[in-house]
Amino acid sequence: MVSAATAVTVEHLVKKYGRLVAVNDLSLSMHEGEIFGIIGPNGAGKTTTVECISGLRAPDSGSIAVYGLSPQKDRDRMREFVGVQLQESALPPRLRVGEAVRLFASFYSNPIDPDQLLESLGIKQFAGASFKSLSGGQKQRLSIALALVGNPKLAILDELTTGLDPEARRETWGLIERMRDRGVTVILVTHFMDEAEKLCDRLALINHGIVIALDTPEAIAARAGGSRVRFVPSQPVDEQTLRAIPGVNGIERKERYVTVTGTGDLAGSLINALAAIGVRVSEIDARTGNLEDAFIKLTRDDALTVGKESQR
Amino acid sequence: MSGSRLDESTSRRSGFRFAELLKVQGKLALREPYALFGGLALPAILLAVFGFIGQANPGNVGSTGLTIIEVWTPTILVLSMIFISVSLPNTLVRDREIGWLRRVSTTPLHPSRLLAAQLIIDLILAAAAILIVILEGALVFGASLHVQILPFAVSLLLAIVELFALGLVLVALMPTQTVAQPVSGVVTFGLMFLSGLWVNPAQVGDPLRTIMYYSPSGAAVKAVLDSAFNGDPSYAALLTMAVYTVIFGFIAIRYFRWE
Repeated sequence: MVSAATAVTVEHLVKKYGRLVAVNDLSLSMHEGEIFGIIGPNGAGKTTTVECISGLRAPDSGSIAVYGLSPQKDRDRMREFVGVQLQESALPPRLRVGEAVRLFASFYSNPIDPDQLLESLGIKQFAGASFKSLSGGQKQRLSIALALVGNPKLAILDELTTGLDPEARRETWGLIERMRDRGVTVILVTHFMDEAEKLCDRLALINHGIVIALDTPEAIAARAGGSRVRFVPSQPVDEQTLRAIPGVNGIERKERYVTVTGTGDLAGSLINALAAIGVRVSEIDARTGNLEDAFIKLTRDDALTVGKESQR
Repeated sequence: MSGSRLDESTSRRSGFRFAELLKVQGKLALREPYALFGGLALPAILLAVFGFIGQANPGNVGSTGLTIIEVWTPTILVLSMIFISVSLPNTLVRDREIGWLRRVSTTPLHPSRLLAAQLIIDLILAAAAILIVILEGALVFGASLHVQILPFAVSLLLAIVELFALGLVLVALMPTQTVAQPVSGVVTFGLMFLSGLWVNPAQVGDPLRTIMYYSPSGAAVKAVLDSAFNGDPSYAALLTMAVYTVIFGFIAIRYFRWE
């Protein structure tokens, strides 16, 4: 295990817009060189959190450190090494791709060569095209180019692949992985579970302005209760027998179907255990838990807790 | 390692160069020629119109002792500045609305530099407009200017600062382009009327004449006119512009938003 230095620390962050509490006592920390995902339902406080980290918004309370600097007090020094890609941010329509990247390069003291950057992002052939003539995928790649041209240590990417076709999304994922390979710490805000699962080293699931889960995508997915197996037994099986099988947590019956939820190699142990007592199973439908299940389960549980609290 | 070309790309040392920003803003100004058209082309055409009217109607306008082209040359000078300043919201409100200024503010560059670059471009445009209108008025249509350089320069400069400040008030107060366009249009027509484009203050009675003289554009025209022909600057007009500049400047600074 390589001990990674901390790139970003957020402690007890609170941000309100009038009476609306967007972020409510949120804490997390990110390691240097990881892709850190922030997921959560709409309005969970994802964008507000990264805007506070990038220094675009001032927190109401709590503290943030980015490579040891305060986004508010050390804004000027921080901007040198933090690249930001904002949700819903456009360029002047007649600004050209090459001009935009060269312009941004001129803002930084140690930029990446704009031409090589454009080439590596596959948009060099559009260098002379104006922003308004670009497709969604090309705009996103330009947006990434602008976030990277300053040669950042930390890149903050908000809803990066929204509106991209599947191929452009995969290309963009490749770009982000290459950023990490160069040692860049990446914060990725997304509402695509497959994207979070594929790209992120660690994830924070945010709901109602707090972190409700922070772990690797696999570990969070496992929290959804893991696997689910539905089958038809050749003869009735009682509940106790099923409960005794390793990994089984829940049992549901509907007509002739039995649905078992649990963890581990559920289907395997189920079939073996039932075969041992002479029960054959048919019409097996097995599904492993994924991040999407976990997301829905965790946010729903959270909503129930909040609901109960407010009833008191 | 699949690595990437990014790894191999050489990083080069270069500080922020204002010239790069100025170059880009200049190119954009040429591609979105609101200011170019309103500030240079339209005044040149309008001046030609008054020039030909003047040739068809020789003689003085009212009791001014000046010909038509002479009376309207200062008006058109001011008009060109009006057009340049009301084009400010066209680009700046848009740039704010689409998130460009916010995007820039995440870099080491403060968006105020972007505003500064835009103002410098517009200043260059205004200087070009002054040159074109004076040359066209004097050489082509024979306006006989008796310019007192210092008061004339002060009048023009104050007019530019006052009207640019008014343009920035619009940038500060207008939330979106959709709102900014009609409002800028109304403001433009108001300023054009008060500058004496349709009826010269010399030809109307009070209280309209007083209102025109003490309006932002009317005062500018009076100051420029007096220093261009009478050699005697109108201190009341200069003071009026100075007061407007302070008021507009205060509002623009107080309400300016980058996001």
